[in-house]
Amino acid sequence: MLSLLISKRLDGFALDVRWEAGDQVVALFGPNGAGKTLTLQCLAGLVRPDQGRIALDERVFFDSAAGVDLRPQDRRLGYVFQGYALFPHLTVEENVAFGLKGRPRTERRARARMVLERLGLAGFEARYPRELSGGQQQRVALGRALAVDPDLLLLDEPLSAVDAPLRRQLREELGRIIREWGKATVLVTHDLAEAYQLADRIVVYEGGRVLQAAPKSELLWQPTSERVARLIGVRNLLRGSVLKSTPEVIQLRWREQTLEAVNSPSHLFLPHPGAALPFFIRPEYVRLIRKDRPGPDARHHMNLMDGEIVAEADQGTTWTLFFRLSEPGTPGQGTYDLEIEVPKLVYEILDMARDRRWQISIHRGSIQVLPSE
Amino acid sequence: MDLFPIWLSLQVSLMATALTLLVGVPVAWVLARRRFPGRDLLEALVVLPLILPPTVLGYYLLLVIGSQGPVGRALAVAGFELAFTWRAAVLAAAVGSIALLIKSAQAGFETVDARLEQAARTLGRSEWSVFWSVTLPLAWRSVLAGTVLAFCRAVGEFGITLMVAGNIPGKTQTLPLAIYDRVQANAMGEANALALIAVGGVALLLFGVSRMARLKY
Amino acid sequence: MRRWLPAAWLALAGAMPVAGADAPSLTVFAAADLGFAFKEIVPRFEKSVGAKVSLVLGSSGNLATQIEHGAPADVFFSADRAFVERLAARGAVIAESRAVYAQGRIVLATARSFGPRLTDLRQLGDPRIRHVAIANPVHAPYGRAAEEALRKAGLWETVKPKLVFGENIRHALQFIQTGAAEAGIVARSVANVPEIEWTLIDSSLHAPLQQVAVVVKRTARPELGLAFIQFVNGPEGRSIMKRYGFILPGEF
Repeated sequence: MLSLLISKRLDGFALDVRWEAGDQVVALFGPNGAGKTLTLQCLAGLVRPDQGRIALDERVFFDSAAGVDLRPQDRRLGYVFQGYALFPHLTVEENVAFGLKGRPRTERRARARMVLERLGLAGFEARYPRELSGGQQQRVALGRALAVDPDLLLLDEPLSAVDAPLRRQLREELGRIIREWGKATVLVTHDLAEAYQLADRIVVYEGGRVLQAAPKSELLWQPTSERVARLIGVRNLLRGSVLKSTPEVIQLRWREQTLEAVNSPSHLFLPHPGAALPFFIRPEYVRLIRKDRPGPDARHHMNLMDGEIVAEADQGTTWTLFFRLSEPGTPGQGTYDLEIEVPKLVYEILDMARDRRWQISIHRGSIQVLPSE
Repeated sequence: MDLFPIWLSLQVSLMATALTLLVGVPVAWVLARRRFPGRDLLEALVVLPLILPPTVLGYYLLLVIGSQGPVGRALAVAGFELAFTWRAAVLAAAVGSIALLIKSAQAGFETVDARLEQAARTLGRSEWSVFWSVTLPLAWRSVLAGTVLAFCRAVGEFGITLMVAGNIPGKTQTLPLAIYDRVQANAMGEANALALIAVGGVALLLFGVSRMARLKY
Repeated sequence: MRRWLPAAWLALAGAMPVAGADAPSLTVFAAADLGFAFKEIVPRFEKSVGAKVSLVLGSSGNLATQIEHGAPADVFFSADRAFVERLAARGAVIAESRAVYAQGRIVLATARSFGPRLTDLRQLGDPRIRHVAIANPVHAPYGRAAEEALRKAGLWETVKPKLVFGENIRHALQFIQTGAAEAGIVARSVANVPEIEWTLIDSSLHAPLQQVAVVVKRTARPELGLAFIQFVNGPEGRSIMKRYGFILPGEF
């Protein structure tokens, strides 16, 4: 169990964060300059927080009140730097064995070789970092960190130094390696897909503060605020006004439509009628009502609206439709009101290329309200 | 021809360079890697010997290590002779040349990526080990260049030596002082011979060092 | 790091040369202008007494400073009595051993490469003479005498812009020898070099350059130092000094 509570002031920047993580992979996610790397450095002992406490299980790394500040050397962690920071003057094997000083030479070599083999780099022992590809360097950096058998693994933007085409493949490899080793891990990234794929828990950073810390699915499904929603790239982020609110349901007005949404389970909040209310609708959960079937059925269809497709974008396996309501007035998002995601099959069967006018239905559970700031 | 000055200068320069390395490398590292109050003062102090005229520097040193000076008096009590001996010549050569080493080494250390040193720390290495295994191997060329410069400066050291060690033939008369002496006495032939040996010797050394440097990488 | 390197250095340090400690040795600090004369006197003294003499030449001011700060001089021959007086006031020398050993003379020197020998100080105003070398008046007594003479002759302002200062008269002499300075004022005792020609300067133009010798207090051998002073002032010493143009005690 890793617990962290720190504050640190640097010129013009203030970091005040607090979060916990069990024995799992945690991603610190947020835009550049939010304080994620700084947090990692504090975790490692490379930077001294002004105040706070950092502890891993029963080991206290830092405690300003008790005057505890373990040196990086004593924290028993592995750190993979952005850009890898491999020692250019040492071979791959020497890099990996670097943290093993003090053990007999045969043991060092054996362990280094074992690590390299597990990472698929057997045979690269005598090479130098400059001779390796980006992906190989990343694995050496990982191997170097893991060879010392650390209690905690820290990764700073592990894939940012890699070209885009390679990134997906390496991301999968990295995820596999991390889970295989089973260490408590903290990784820093500004890429949500990366955080989602590699981590179990995501801590959202912005401007030196934590906006939300939650298991990843919860974050994606229930961002706790509009800011978080924006950061994780939620689509169809809209603003309406409250008509009525109960613990289960919130009725709101948007584009002259009356919509019903489930209340957020984590914030049982009851806004007053007339209050501004940000909310979002998942594009993939907007239902287009088929014209060849009998009309809308009140049990399954709700939040019915009419409109037409004004544009679409080919996403490879799906189409993104840009839907504009028939309701006169300014659309909610520039030239359209909603993004709707449909599989290619559906697009073709319903002949959307030609048939542009549709009625849509959105289940109240697919409309997510966001507590205002 | 009296060969004593050659022998003396060789030993004085080598010892002075060793002293310079011992003191200069840590100072260079501190200036490169640490921020602390008084850092600017230290940097100014380091270049001071380069700015002051050697005789002036020698005079100030004499005030400290001479028979009237605090260090001189303390050493006299301990029975240790410093001023006006070959040891003062070593001190003079070191003082005159240390700035060259410090500046070169400092620049070299600063170019080493600090993250490499941080990585070494996270991997459990002590500060001492970080320096020897990471910083120095990556900055050795600058340190070597600085050492060579310092050595050459030590060989040629004149003004400070003249003041604190004196121009005592057979005891503290280093090669530059000897050449100066011969010129003053109008013994140009000897002066030229000594100068040639000095230049030739250092040239040989530089050649050897550059060969060694090329072999290493 | 190569393992043999530190060992080699230690060996080198251990082999540090130690000054020969056989015959009783005397260290003489002497003003630069005595260089030529003492090069003859010293061997004769060594033979007559059976002692070894270490001769250290320099500018009187610097030598005096070094003696004050513990330099290992046994006896000091200063070109200017002022330095000896200062040392006496500071208790660094045996005041009773003070002895005037000579009076210095300055000469107007001309570089042979320039042209005919100058005979009058006023000729220094000649525009063809661009640099005039003298010893530094601030700390060299002969330099001070040169300045006095120029001032008394009313030439200081004219010649001042052309002045080049040497650390001591040897240095000033070099300027003239090499032709870097066309002319200058140096000590009579060093002027006999092939590259220059010289004319005596009227001694009334400057305060007498009384040159005083003294035995240094911290010497281990005061009697040897005294013996050397007496040798210089004795018949053998005087005849050599006279040859180098020094005016001797009893003659002034």
